[in-house]
Amino acid sequence: MSDRIVDGVRKHTPSILLFFDESPFSLLWLWLSTEKRKQIKSEKIGIILYIAMASPGGQGGGAVSTRGAGARRMKWALELSLGNARGRGDRQSNQGDVMYPIGYSDKPVPDTSIQETDKNLVEKRCWDVALGPLKQIPMNLFIMYMSGNTISIFPIMMVCMMAWRPIQALMSMSATFKLLENSNQQWLQGLVYSVGNLLGSALAIYKCQSMGLLPTHSSDWLAFIEPPQRMEIMGGGMVL
Amino acid sequence: MKPPAKMSKPTSLFVIFFSLFVMSEAVFEDQVGKFDWRQQYVGKTLFAHFDSHSQSSKKLFLATDKNIFASFNSRTGDLFWRHVDKVGPEGTIDILLLHGQDALMVVGGGRLLRSWDTNMGGLNWEAVLDTGSFQAACFVAIQDTVKHVAVLKKAVISLHYLTNGHQKWVENLPDSDTVQYQAVYSGGEEEVYVLGVVPNSHLTIIAYSLEDGEIIKQRSVEAPWLSSVESSCVVIGQGVLMCVDPATLALYTLPIQAEEAPQFNQILLQVTPVQPRLEVSLGFQPVLVSSQPHPARSPISEFFLQLGPDHHVLLQLNADGYTIAALRDFQPAFLVSFATTGEKTVAAVMTPKNETVSLQKKKKRFNNICFFKDSVVFPPQLYVHAFLKKDDSVGYRVLVQTQDHALTFIQQPGRVVWTREEALADVVTMEMVDLPLTGTQAELEGEFGKKADGLFPMVLKRLSSQVILLQVWLAHLWKLFYEARQPHGQVKNEVTIETLSRDEFNLQKMMVMVTASGKLFGIDSKSGSILWKHYLENVQPNAVFKLIVQRTTAHFPHPPQCTLLIKDKDTGLASLHVFNPIFGRKSHIAPPALPRPILQSLLLPVIDQDYAKVLLLVDDQYKVTAFPSTKNVLQQLQEMASSIFFYLIRSDQGNLSGFRLRKDLSTERIWEVVLPTEVQKIVAVNGKRPNEHVHSQGRVMGDRSVLYKYLNPNLLAVVTESTDAHPERAFVGVFLVDGVTGRIIHEAVQRKARGPVHFVHSENWVVYEYWNTKSRRNEFSVLELFEGTELYNSTVFSSLDRPHLPQVLQQTYIFPSPITTMEATLTEKGITSRHLLVGLPSGAILSLPKMFLDPRRPEVVTEHSREENLIPYAPEMPIRTEWFINYNQTVARVKGIYTAPSGLESTCLVVAYGLDIYQTRVYPSKQFDVLKDDYDYVLISSVLLALFFATMISKRLAQVKLLNRAWR
Repeated sequence: MSDRIVDGVRKHTPSILLFFDESPFSLLWLWLSTEKRKQIKSEKIGIILYIAMASPGGQGGGAVSTRGAGARRMKWALELSLGNARGRGDRQSNQGDVMYPIGYSDKPVPDTSIQETDKNLVEKRCWDVALGPLKQIPMNLFIMYMSGNTISIFPIMMVCMMAWRPIQALMSMSATFKLLENSNQQWLQGLVYSVGNLLGSALAIYKCQSMGLLPTHSSDWLAFIEPPQRMEIMGGGMVL
Repeated sequence: MKPPAKMSKPTSLFVIFFSLFVMSEAVFEDQVGKFDWRQQYVGKTLFAHFDSHSQSSKKLFLATDKNIFASFNSRTGDLFWRHVDKVGPEGTIDILLLHGQDALMVVGGGRLLRSWDTNMGGLNWEAVLDTGSFQAACFVAIQDTVKHVAVLKKAVISLHYLTNGHQKWVENLPDSDTVQYQAVYSGGEEEVYVLGVVPNSHLTIIAYSLEDGEIIKQRSVEAPWLSSVESSCVVIGQGVLMCVDPATLALYTLPIQAEEAPQFNQILLQVTPVQPRLEVSLGFQPVLVSSQPHPARSPISEFFLQLGPDHHVLLQLNADGYTIAALRDFQPAFLVSFATTGEKTVAAVMTPKNETVSLQKKKKRFNNICFFKDSVVFPPQLYVHAFLKKDDSVGYRVLVQTQDHALTFIQQPGRVVWTREEALADVVTMEMVDLPLTGTQAELEGEFGKKADGLFPMVLKRLSSQVILLQVWLAHLWKLFYEARQPHGQVKNEVTIETLSRDEFNLQKMMVMVTASGKLFGIDSKSGSILWKHYLENVQPNAVFKLIVQRTTAHFPHPPQCTLLIKDKDTGLASLHVFNPIFGRKSHIAPPALPRPILQSLLLPVIDQDYAKVLLLVDDQYKVTAFPSTKNVLQQLQEMASSIFFYLIRSDQGNLSGFRLRKDLSTERIWEVVLPTEVQKIVAVNGKRPNEHVHSQGRVMGDRSVLYKYLNPNLLAVVTESTDAHPERAFVGVFLVDGVTGRIIHEAVQRKARGPVHFVHSENWVVYEYWNTKSRRNEFSVLELFEGTELYNSTVFSSLDRPHLPQVLQQTYIFPSPITTMEATLTEKGITSRHLLVGLPSGAILSLPKMFLDPRRPEVVTEHSREENLIPYAPEMPIRTEWFINYNQTVARVKGIYTAPSGLESTCLVVAYGLDIYQTRVYPSKQFDVLKDDYDYVLISSVLLALFFATMISKRLAQVKLLNRAWR
């Protein structure tokens, strides 16, 4: 990736584009934090709305804080036109009028031959990926403890996030396997990864249970009981 | 949201908030009169006077049998003011006299003498009279000014000042144990005459001095034919007492003031030179009608003699005082009356001939005023007001009270100015009936009702009905447009029977009201206008009514059908009046002949081929008559006979018995419960309302288990009161009896309590109110029945298969006011929480959330009770003024409250009746299914639009940006 292009993108990406690219969730977050002290509970519709908005961005909840605005960049770009005035100007300032072929880099190309240490690195990286979900569990437990069992907007959002992330991860298992395909212990890692995710979702279900969101009691099915049919017809009264 | 229903944890929070909203329920100022209306009535007129104080006065004063003194606007018939006195003999108005600006009234059988200021309706003064039953009263004048009023009681006569009510003198009447004093007369002289009679022996005349009450003279005249002064004697001319003897058909005259003790002068009617001959109808007691225009002057010498129910003769006493002359014979003539203005006196005669009222003037000029084009109801009372017109001729106004309690006001050319339906002051029972669908709605309904006859015709039918709908919509739009162009106020939305149709949410209904006088009314619930009325003649005053809706409007094209069961208390015989509740027309369906006294009726959910529900009538031999009784119905009855039960309660014998129907429509007694009448008597019984729906079958506990309700549709609440009224031993009993098996489910006895008990029985609870004689306060008690945490049988309910008794919970609260009636709200599906509508003696109607009457209210708050949203127990029940659903529109003497569900689940229609009628809507759980009146459509739609455009613009911008970037 060339610095120049990165530079260019950074300069020219309109702020509004950034806004729409990744902001629905962060916007909501901002808004929520201002709304925190208000009584949101009564706004029934509001809650449903939050949930609906929060759940697709489930995994973004934690990420928002870590991911900077600049983190999302164009991975690569081809610069086909040589007549780019600005680009030429840049180069001119460095190298004068010398033209470089496409793909030329100033830096020396690193040695890409596979070495023994790399293999270990890959292995290590793969284990990182596989153990990721398991590592999150203590954190989740802490959040669970902190959020309490009351039904309000934050615990609900949190539970949704907790439930959605493992499910999403399990659904994109194939992508993860692709990541792990260079590893020797691919299957073990895959297993650990899925067990971690399953544990995560079990935790979410436990949280739902302790919050009383699971229909496990007879009262949850009360609304579906039909009134019994009466067998006798009766009437009468005081003698008129 | 119904709090106990399906309350899992998330909803419980909402419920807390909703309940907070419920507590702040009240009407906003701009909603006053929007959904509600009130009509005020006074009842049947006993005395009426026109305000003759000033020429242009519009006032009319009435005293009625409901113990009300009221003033009307004679131009419009609207009420100026009204004074509602106590119910019963304590507030009875014995007499109403009007003089100038003062209206004098004797109240409560001679207990009080009151003077009212007729201008403002304020009380001038009130004087307590001596004990003794009231006989008569009259104004006493000296030298043309009226200064006193004389009140005659059984044994005493008293004279009071008009200005302050102080007693001038009071005298005991001599020989009051033998002589019945019945009349008092003053002709403007210095004396007051009291007339008494010893029946069939002699007449006593006592003259009292006006100054000090000294007896000036006392005479006794032989009158062996006279039994009552009141009914057969009047004073006419220059103090001549004129009596009629029905036995010999003779008139007797006697000058009252004569010094000596003369005999009665007899005038035999048969021999008087009067044309035509005067003959009394068979068995009729002749009545004399005379008039004393001013208390300072003698009565006029003309008088009416009523010889038969429709025969009156106008007679005149000649100047000699011994002979009479006939002026005119009126036959047929129902009512006669005199009216005087200045020196002129008018006699009014009401004749049924050609439905006109004849008005005859003293100068022997006759003219007719037209009256009553459509009514042939016999009018029992007539009040005439005569006044001098500018050209010195006599004008008149007439107030007629007819037998159906309608009050009609007629002006000079015979124009009916207004009519008041005073029968509505005594509504006995009522029902609300859905209005019919419009033609197009019916068309659509019919489409789904009919059987499918192929795909293509169905499509065609659908298309055609859609076209009709489009047409109607366009017509509606055009009408809106047309009306918008009209200046404001000219557009009248008058409701007529023809334009009646159901509205979108079924909020407008037809109120069918049955009144004690036997007049039926159809009232539009939205506007309160009377759309039809029907007078049932020959209804006894003490008749019992039961109104039954046999077919609702849902069965187009069959018209809705109501049946009124009228039972004569004396003979026990009953009759049925079948009518269409929308138009009030009598149905052509012939009701069955009921030769035997009817004990009770029972409406079955069984329908005949015309969709009319079957009504069973049980006679005194416990045989059953079905109506309608077509073959189809009888066959269905035979099939179902073994599951049809009914119960009868004989309060006088303390007997409850249950019967089962046999196939041959006879019955067999299957159970009997006797409550000994010497200990307690049954005062009321109530089952559940048949149209009540219970949405939730149980209540959710704090631990999220379910406490199932005991929803026995056959349960009866029987209320008894002890015969012993001693405060220490009095008690009130509530028995919950299964009407099918006779099993006593529960028995609650409230010691040291007294009635009257008001109670509501609904769902799985009974709420009753009584007077606690020990603590001397009103108390509410609530009984709730639960089946437990498991249902015995969740699919069918049979009283014959219920081995377990329910768990009963009870709690009692102190209520700070007595109540007059109580009813529970009712909604379409029973999801909305319930409120109790309590009528208070102050005229307010309180909407009390049932949440406060919950026997599970804990004394100590626990986690679970908080979870369940139970209010901690507090013995005092609050009355919050914002709970009054009728704000300042008090309903005098609330007798009953009727609730009906509307098409909206949140809304319940309420009609409170008594002396007044008040209609409104209540929303026990707020209007959760309707947008608020003040919903900000503008803001919401502008925000939506703004967002939409912002999205469009930013999308465009983003596209441009992307394109630019791609080009770079």
